[in-house]
Amino acid sequence: MAMGVLSLLLATFQAFADDSDGKQIYANKCAVCHGGSGQGTEDFPRPLEGTRTVAQLAKLIAKTMPEDDPGTCVGPDADKVAAFIHESFYLKKEKPPRIELSRLTVRQYRQSVADLVGSFRPDSESWNVQRGIKGEYFKSRQYRDQGMERVDPELKFDFGVYGPDRDTFQPDLFSIRWQGSVIAPETGEYDFVVHTEHSFRLWINDTKKPLIDALVKSGNDTEYHGSIYLLSGRAYTVKVDFAKAKQGVDDSKKIMGPPQPVKASFSLEWKPPHHALEVIPQRQLIPRSSPEVFAVTTPFPPDDRSVGYERGTSVSKAWEQATTDAAIETTAYIISHLQELAGTRDDSGVLKTFCRKFVERAFRHPLTDEQRKLHVDDQFEQSKTTDLALKRVVLLALKSPWFLYREINPTPDAYDVASRISFSLWDSIPDQTLIKAAESGQLKTPEQVKHHAERMVSDPRSKAKAREFFLHWLKVDQVVDLAKDPTSFPEFDEAIVADLRTSLELFLDATIWGETSDFRSLLISDETMLNGRLAKFYGATLPENAPFSSYKLEPTERAGVLTHPYLMAAFAYTGTSSPIHRGVFLSRSVLGRSLKPPPEAVAPLAPDLHEGLTTRERVTLQTSPPSCMTCHGMINPLGFSLEHFDAVGRFRTAEKGRIIDASGILELRGTETNAYDGARQLAIRLAESDETHQAFVEQLFHNLIQQPVRAFGSDELNTLKKSFIANHFHIRKLMVEIVTRTAFAPHATQP
Amino acid sequence: MAQARNRREFIRDLGIGAAAFPFLLNLPSLGFANQVERKKRLVVLFSPNGIVPSTFWPEEEGSDFALKAILKPLEPFKDKSLILRGVCDKVRGDGDNHMRGMGCLLTGVELYPGNIQGGSDTPAGWASGLSIDQEIKNHLQTQTSTRTRFGSLEFGVMVPDRADTWTRMVYAGPNKPLAPIDDPYQMFGKLYGRMKDQESLKSILDDLQDDLKKVEAKVSVEDRQLLREHETFVREMEQELKDSKNHDLGHAVPELETGVKEDNDNIPKISKMQIDLMVNSFSADFARVATLQFTNSVGGAKMRWLGVDEGHHELSHHPDSDEKSQEKLTKINTWYCEQLAYLAKRLADTPEPGGSGSLLDNTLIVWTNELGKGNSHTLDNIPFVLVGNGLDFKMGRSLKYKRVAHNRLLIALANGMGHHIEKFGNPNYCDGGGLNDLT
Repeated sequence: MAMGVLSLLLATFQAFADDSDGKQIYANKCAVCHGGSGQGTEDFPRPLEGTRTVAQLAKLIAKTMPEDDPGTCVGPDADKVAAFIHESFYLKKEKPPRIELSRLTVRQYRQSVADLVGSFRPDSESWNVQRGIKGEYFKSRQYRDQGMERVDPELKFDFGVYGPDRDTFQPDLFSIRWQGSVIAPETGEYDFVVHTEHSFRLWINDTKKPLIDALVKSGNDTEYHGSIYLLSGRAYTVKVDFAKAKQGVDDSKKIMGPPQPVKASFSLEWKPPHHALEVIPQRQLIPRSSPEVFAVTTPFPPDDRSVGYERGTSVSKAWEQATTDAAIETTAYIISHLQELAGTRDDSGVLKTFCRKFVERAFRHPLTDEQRKLHVDDQFEQSKTTDLALKRVVLLALKSPWFLYREINPTPDAYDVASRISFSLWDSIPDQTLIKAAESGQLKTPEQVKHHAERMVSDPRSKAKAREFFLHWLKVDQVVDLAKDPTSFPEFDEAIVADLRTSLELFLDATIWGETSDFRSLLISDETMLNGRLAKFYGATLPENAPFSSYKLEPTERAGVLTHPYLMAAFAYTGTSSPIHRGVFLSRSVLGRSLKPPPEAVAPLAPDLHEGLTTRERVTLQTSPPSCMTCHGMINPLGFSLEHFDAVGRFRTAEKGRIIDASGILELRGTETNAYDGARQLAIRLAESDETHQAFVEQLFHNLIQQPVRAFGSDELNTLKKSFIANHFHIRKLMVEIVTRTAFAPHATQP
Repeated sequence: MAQARNRREFIRDLGIGAAAFPFLLNLPSLGFANQVERKKRLVVLFSPNGIVPSTFWPEEEGSDFALKAILKPLEPFKDKSLILRGVCDKVRGDGDNHMRGMGCLLTGVELYPGNIQGGSDTPAGWASGLSIDQEIKNHLQTQTSTRTRFGSLEFGVMVPDRADTWTRMVYAGPNKPLAPIDDPYQMFGKLYGRMKDQESLKSILDDLQDDLKKVEAKVSVEDRQLLREHETFVREMEQELKDSKNHDLGHAVPELETGVKEDNDNIPKISKMQIDLMVNSFSADFARVATLQFTNSVGGAKMRWLGVDEGHHELSHHPDSDEKSQEKLTKINTWYCEQLAYLAKRLADTPEPGGSGSLLDNTLIVWTNELGKGNSHTLDNIPFVLVGNGLDFKMGRSLKYKRVAHNRLLIALANGMGHHIEKFGNPNYCDGGGLNDLT
């Protein structure tokens, strides 16, 4: 990500000699504030550094510099001084970037521990199967005497008083066992909610201990809650035992006259992080079980994200403490699941082998003799019981720098290559296939790496990581408050907001994982994913209960994610659109331009104080001072292009009775025309622009690799961009290319 | 490696003056010396399926009475015992007598209608109120002078692994049964687990520091800084663990026999382990309230170690005329009474930390049952045998009431524990308030 910024704060302009040499102009007009070589001065300490081109710089200077008398350094003068600045010091000179030793990020820690423990269980099967959940319907209360088996799309039933099928089942004596898995789209706390009048038990992930045990039906309760922490990109077993029958002593042989008709219904809902409560949708269910997943729930301090991506280049006491707590949590889990994971509880020979494998997998390397002694043999030697030995081995392994750090070896060996591939795509340790490849010398060439990257890129863990990146790219990965003014938008409720989020996620998934995986489609597609509820709100014609499908809302106006109502509503105030938020998003994320915070905290002008002004006019008025225009000259025209979309992302042609003006002019590298009218025209220009391509490649690179791209060579970004273009902007191929090109790179500095 | 020894040694190896000490004891109880009010504790001990009246109830009333066969083990504590006959569970409503006997025993209130069908009567669900032990615990936990780390501990012995009306007697609220912990190792983990973790952690710190040094030698000069910072945090942790070692745990960690599996024939061992853990947790003042539930209502323990091969519940249905069975039932109940006596003895042998006398001087044990008698399933004359001086009751007596509602006894227990209430459970059975002739 571009680092430097152009200083906005300029000082007194001094009269200057009539000298048109760039260096002279700088010395006369600029140095007093910016310093002799752009280093800044006491009053204006920010170095004159940035990422603009000479032409952009010249234009900016002509328009805004010197600050107290803009317009006095224009034309050839501006060009010359811009060229001088650019050539002499503007391009940021920092220490040569290098691949840094990094600890695991929080995400990597959780995923790695899950896969480390999971490596001692059977592999999860592919999810490319029918969606839904398997239902077995029984004619008894004890899940015996099957009357029917089928795949149910979701768990929402009203059986009335007669049960699932009047001919097969007695109205008051049947039981149902549903079994399958649920795919968690995000990492976090999930609430599960069951509504029923009858007896049931619900298991999630752990198939021994129910998450909700309502075998005893008691009183009038019909709503039950349970919550559990799940990691994204994984499937978790769901099992429900439901019975409309009495439990306890079997008195069914007794003659007691016809039972009172009682209705039976059952629903299973969930509330994933960032979503509203909903019946678990069919697309998240698969009709077969999955191996249990161990998710570390210990809270960690958040990772440093100041450079635009999470990285592990700093440690803190809180982090160190969290790794201790998480190691203790993991140890307890392993001890309590030892029989299953190691195949024994007390055979010390077998347990020792288990420990060796565990440490090896944690370290992503075969153990040296010395490591084997320290990490396994000594621990067994010094412990009185195998339980204690095991505890010490696991604690030490999970606290060890060999587990906690990446990039220890300055020149990567085959195992490091394996780790680079898996951490890039999954944020996790290599799977056994990769380790075997490393072992057998099958990870020596870029082709071999590419082969594995292609295999792994479609794994759910890659998809989960990619989705998180795209939501971050769209600046909606953190908690987004979409609450709107209820009088202006009375129907824009929580359900609509949750559906919008789903709509955005489905659109991203369909584009990224579709055949063409074309980045440009993200920006210019004229389709939006809508269900019945959204269709009604956004004026599309779909049946009320329609599931999500692709729909062309205003096809001549919509432009992929850029006009997606979720983003439009996120980058808006409660009552009005916010061209500034929208423009900042486009500048930073799509164009990768760096912006510095406004020179002073500014409250937006209140719409009701300027009744006669449109939003565009109001923003123009507020940002008119030259010190604002250095950035807002770019932000505003980008944001204005989206003025056709109100605070909830609905299309409009007028505001306050006046026709929307969504036209603008913006210079973009690599495009021919600068003028546009409306979001779609702008989006097409953005999709063509070299700046957009570069910004995307750079951001994706940093998300995958978590090291500065320039550490892999000064031309690396350019090379990747060219290949991206040559591959028709294929996102998945770019991911594979990034992984392949970085897998072997040695650290820049040798110890 | 050194051959694994038994769990006893394992636990001793962990060390008693544990690093985790500050986490183990709640702070208020650290101030033993400043104690003004004496501690009061309540234990409810449950055994199922009724008793044998003829070998259980003393004939006499008052302070001059003889203990019959079942209560014989209480002989050493006779002057600390109070036997209450004529206390009846009058709660009716849904559920058979085993279910109501269990679910209403400590709650004094009806079961909700539900789907659990008993051997007779209508099906029922959970109790519609909290149990007296939880009522008292909640009260104690609201005050700093009586607040403890856990408040209450729920022990069990061979409780079946299913949650239903027959297996739960403790309720945190309506429809909120609490499961007893019947695995002593699990209870040990609850009481001392963090201490064990800290011990294990301490044991690997030297090796961890070695490891960090080795990695440091491998990485570039620029990267070394990060690892050095990491090392300082590890050293700080080591120091903190050392500092906390200066505290004294104040009591010995109980030594549990190793590898005792949860099965019928291990009931005597498990019972002893659970009682030892309970006594230790009182020493450490982890809780002031405890329950110990043997099996469950309708529990079918086979006491082969007494030469009784039949299941307890099955036997309890046999008629009074079946003398052999009644003898066996007497044996079974005597064994339960021995458990009560063992608990009383352990408490009597343990000095009250920071106070005077023994733990038993400040504890009241209530031994009870869900039925009066197994073959009639009566809820009249529910056995209540009280041992210990914890509640200032006048002990060394045998009392006979005329069908008094057991709610009034529950109220008296709360009052005796310093929690003044006038009603508990169904208010219709609370007339007169707490039984007033106990003190």
